[in-house]
Amino acid sequence: MVIVNPRVHAPAKRRGFRREHLLFLAFVTPNFFLLGVFSYWPLLYQAYLSLTRWDMISPRKLFVGLDNYRYMFGGSEFYEVMFNTFYFTGAVLVGSIVLGLALALLLNQRLRGRTVARAIIFAPYVLSGAAIGLVWAYIFDPVYGLMRVFLNFFYIVSPNWLVDTTWAMPAVIIVYLWKNVGYSAVIYLAGLQNIPQELYEAAKVDGANSWQSFWHITVPQLSPVTFFISVTTILFSIQAFDIIAVMTGGGPVNATTTLVWYLYEQGFIAFRAGIAAAAGMLLFVLMLLITMFQVFFVQRRVHYS
Amino acid sequence: MSKLNRRKFLKAGSGALSALALAACGGVGTTDTATAPSGAASTGAAPSLAGAPSAAGAASAAAQSQAPSAAALNTAGRTRVLFWSAWGGKNAEGVQKLVDDFNASQSDIVVENQFQGSYEETAQKLTAALAARQTPDIATMSEVTWNRFYLNQTIQPLDEYFTKANFDPTDYVEPLIKEGTRQGKIWWVPFARSTPIFYYNRDVFQKAGLPDRGPETWDELREWGPKLMEAGGADMKVFAYTTAKNYNAWHFHGNVWQWGGAYSDPELNALLDEANAVEAGEWLRRFVHDDKMGYMAEDQSTDFINGVCATTSQSTGGLGGIATSAKFQVGTAFLPQQKQFGCPTGGAGLAIMANAQEEQKQAAVEFLKFLAMPENVVFWSKHSGYMPATNSARESQDMQAYFKENPNYQVAVEQLPKTQKQDTARLIIPNGDQTIGTGLERILVNNEAADKVFADVAAQLERDAQEVKQQVKDVPLT
Repeated sequence: MVIVNPRVHAPAKRRGFRREHLLFLAFVTPNFFLLGVFSYWPLLYQAYLSLTRWDMISPRKLFVGLDNYRYMFGGSEFYEVMFNTFYFTGAVLVGSIVLGLALALLLNQRLRGRTVARAIIFAPYVLSGAAIGLVWAYIFDPVYGLMRVFLNFFYIVSPNWLVDTTWAMPAVIIVYLWKNVGYSAVIYLAGLQNIPQELYEAAKVDGANSWQSFWHITVPQLSPVTFFISVTTILFSIQAFDIIAVMTGGGPVNATTTLVWYLYEQGFIAFRAGIAAAAGMLLFVLMLLITMFQVFFVQRRVHYS
Repeated sequence: MSKLNRRKFLKAGSGALSALALAACGGVGTTDTATAPSGAASTGAAPSLAGAPSAAGAASAAAQSQAPSAAALNTAGRTRVLFWSAWGGKNAEGVQKLVDDFNASQSDIVVENQFQGSYEETAQKLTAALAARQTPDIATMSEVTWNRFYLNQTIQPLDEYFTKANFDPTDYVEPLIKEGTRQGKIWWVPFARSTPIFYYNRDVFQKAGLPDRGPETWDELREWGPKLMEAGGADMKVFAYTTAKNYNAWHFHGNVWQWGGAYSDPELNALLDEANAVEAGEWLRRFVHDDKMGYMAEDQSTDFINGVCATTSQSTGGLGGIATSAKFQVGTAFLPQQKQFGCPTGGAGLAIMANAQEEQKQAAVEFLKFLAMPENVVFWSKHSGYMPATNSARESQDMQAYFKENPNYQVAVEQLPKTQKQDTARLIIPNGDQTIGTGLERILVNNEAADKVFADVAAQLERDAQEVKQQVKDVPLT
């Protein structure tokens, strides 16, 4: 962000103004150029593609109007896809906030080895999703999997996780949460350490128990952090691809087909560029709406001071 | 932060530029930047026969960086052919050996082998490569993926090149080469072709007191079921089906034919909702959910090897791996019949891209000719388990001796003449394989009635067929 120096408005400093101006352009142009090439142009091109039928090889793109949108919204598969997308995103959002906060509270205690524990909890976040997906696919294997051994130990019959339409999505959510909860925990931890201790001391003086001080001090004080985590979690999880691709490939029977996997499937398995682009446009609109809601509605209510 | 003035900025900029220039010089010296035309020209590489300015440089760079065995080769002045292959693991070694042998066998052509992932990934990359006009000269395409490239006329009919190369394609096994022949011309030649075969655990069969053979019919397998489950222990299933991702629509294709049905007719009309096909689906549903004998495995090979199921259907291309990994005696048999016999062909072939240079095309045909030589076909077939693609190889003493040692392998080859090309629904209709496969998952996992599922699948196939109907009129499928 450029802070405009008030003195540049004085006529005597015209040269200075121009110089600042050029410098500003020099810094901003490459960024705008890259954004234009890699974000805005593809978006416009995607909007155009979504109105065509194209198999990605043929030199001709047949203009079909809104047919692709009709195809997408008309299929029964589409409602499953939207349901799965919200199921996945919602579960990951709630999980990241609840588990992230719980872990952060735990790691905020003065316990021995907490530095090591922090590192361990954060570690999965930096690992590759594909590798994690592969390992967890073994863990969830209904015959040889570690999860089966673990559940059998508690006399629970292990479901056939990845080949069961009911359990495939929870399995994917568990893995996604395991990978990403370290991130929200670390952000929450930073937030916890920024809460002034005086507030807790004052509450103590007023006779508040620990639950009351958690509910009336910690939670509201953390609301900007929660807001930040919600935004990033929703935007990332709605685009989650790697773990689904490796673990389930959208199956069984579309049970883990989210909007992004649907897009990939239409584009790069069925080679229907038009329908993939239409799904991409829908994803774009969806994310735009979520972001706008968060910026205009939620943000106003979470900021103190 | 101190304010950056123009001089400082320029100084920093020129520093960066000279660093770039230095990097570029380094590149020229080592020929690693073979794609830069100036780099290739200034290294003094021998002018390539291909006429493409960067071909010689690229080939030598590839020789240095890629195959160590090719590094010893003098590749200067040879026509470079870029080959995209789709096999990992053991089969990748086999392909590389064939390429190395070819490069060593003559001095005019050098083939560069690049592994591109699965058949589907290779097709994805080839699609992108066509858009970028950076295609290989010769590429691996599966029995499904090659149709898109054919319908868009991006691959080359080869007959003229075969004549020029003095290469007789009639040696290829007839049903296989016929599949790649359309409009009276050969477009796609068999290389790694396979069929599904029936695998059974001979130890469990013996324990169950069953004859040492596959079942004649699916009903016979169902009769054997209780004995097999008893012999195999509490958790053993009789037969493993698989997921859509793992090509269950290919395996079920045989079932549909065995019950007298079909996926579709040659004009792309879906027939899956007709009585016989539905009967096959309903039989499967009952076998899985009422009898509890069949189930859906994520990977039927792994489950079979580990004794989770007593029998399964898998590609002949999996024979090598299954036979070496299983700790019991593996038996193979023809697929069971029901009302009749039915078995689809599958696997991959090779095609030459239409936009390759003339010289590369002719050179690539020389490579095909080399691959079709009996000793090479035999080597590849023994190494991988894929069908020997030529008659001369199949009848050769070497192959016959191998059959005697490996009766399981002979079963696969004997079944081959009885197999047929798949229906258009899986080959031509966009995403047909996954549409049918997901339908099968609905039966296998959700216990939905076959008539309802197949009606849905047929409706979707009909709808999706519209996308290619015009193309199929313009570019005939026969």
